[in-house]
Amino acid sequence: MDYKIIPSVCSYCGTGCGVLFEVMDGELMGTLPMKTHPVNEGKLCIKGWNLHEHVNSFMRLKQPLVKTFGRFIKTDWDEAIQLTADRFKEIIDKYGPDSIGVLVSAKITNEENYLGQKFARAVIGTNNVDHCARL
Amino acid sequence: MNGNNLRALTEDDMQEQVKEWLEQGKVDFFLGYKMIEGHPLPHFFTKNDLDEVDDLIPGSARYPLEKIATKIAAQQPDAKIGLLVRDCNQRALNVLYVWNQLNPERVKTISVNCCPSKLKEHADCSYLEPEKSGSYKKQVGVDNNMDLEEVEAYDQQERFTRWMYEFEKCIKCYGCRNICPVCFCKECSLEHGDLIGTGDLPPEIPIFHLVRAVHMAGRCIDCGLCEDACPVDIPLRLLYRKVNEIVVDVFDYQTGTSASQSPFNILGEQVTLEPKPISEAA
Amino acid sequence: MTIKRMTFLQNLLKFMGLEDRLHLDWISSAEAQRFVQVVTDFTEKIKELGPNPLSDERKQPKSAHGG
Repeated sequence: MDYKIIPSVCSYCGTGCGVLFEVMDGELMGTLPMKTHPVNEGKLCIKGWNLHEHVNSFMRLKQPLVKTFGRFIKTDWDEAIQLTADRFKEIIDKYGPDSIGVLVSAKITNEENYLGQKFARAVIGTNNVDHCARL
Repeated sequence: MNGNNLRALTEDDMQEQVKEWLEQGKVDFFLGYKMIEGHPLPHFFTKNDLDEVDDLIPGSARYPLEKIATKIAAQQPDAKIGLLVRDCNQRALNVLYVWNQLNPERVKTISVNCCPSKLKEHADCSYLEPEKSGSYKKQVGVDNNMDLEEVEAYDQQERFTRWMYEFEKCIKCYGCRNICPVCFCKECSLEHGDLIGTGDLPPEIPIFHLVRAVHMAGRCIDCGLCEDACPVDIPLRLLYRKVNEIVVDVFDYQTGTSASQSPFNILGEQVTLEPKPISEAA
Repeated sequence: MTIKRMTFLQNLLKFMGLEDRLHLDWISSAEAQRFVQVVTDFTEKIKELGPNPLSDERKQPKSAHGG
């Protein structure tokens, strides 16, 4: 019987509340707020309280999936990225770069958001970049 | 319970006693606090690392250690548990014993000082005199630090609007229920499809809070963790204090100190609740 | 026991500002006359108190969840 409390930060939104993960025998089974954390001072929203379910959910994707003939087929990263790149190219050639939009998110870091908009503007060549907080 | 409880006079006393208990196998593990990355966090001390016990502190933040103990006991009913308690934790333990969630023979406690009061001058607990709320809140709602008499001094209409103002802020985070040390029901009424339902926001006001208040009768021990955990500062502790007062008046039952069964158990005069696993293992 | 629980509930509702809307009585199935009397009296009392203040709150539309 082993029980650990591991401090961490909630991964849902951009606020970054301090959480404590309860790990029993190597398995994540509970979340508590961190009372002395300056951001949340011991309070959490419902998403933060259920982080442990999110991490171990059976619904999490473990592999890239490609939709083929209406069904999702497992594939590997190289193939998935190549397929996406090929399809983007096709769409840009046919409809122009402004037909693609990029949505970035508060769940990822500022640096990743920067990459997202750079990808949209420099690689795809469109200004259609937006963020989930604006919705 | 007297042989299982020690009042620690100093931190060193506490650490020495814990080391002795772990070495002699009187407890399988001890739940206390340790400074981790600048924060006092609950920590699981075991025999495997006795040097770590030198870092055991009473902790200036309060966490529901007895809730953690209940979760562990659910998985391992034979485990011998040691934990650090303040007065509020001790009352919670009493309630958990009465409801068969913990076995008093398997629990050893070390008491540390509590909030300052006329009885105890020295205090470690962070839940000292709470800050008074700002004047804006006093005007529109129910102040968290009011006395029950002050609230009852308002007339009926005003009381209603004030309480509704407070309850309408609720974001249904379930924080009050999740952190409550005496909330252990495997199937919570607050998630029951017919009563409250899941997925609807905001929750049905004031049904959500009144259902919770009724369920706190016979269980709430006035630790105040629910109010600490509420992101919108609803004066929950005040509401449950009223519930406790009614229980004392009507049922003559003092929650947390009476050794008898709560008058609210639904199975009659005897309760046969077995310790149920809290985790969603089912 | 039921009396005590009803008293508890009545006191709690009173604290919140919703008093006098809960009533408990024991009537046998043979006392039909008395049943009619009790219900009529209570209905009158409720009519005097007016509609439940919560029914106004419920008329507000529920906000969309998600987002």
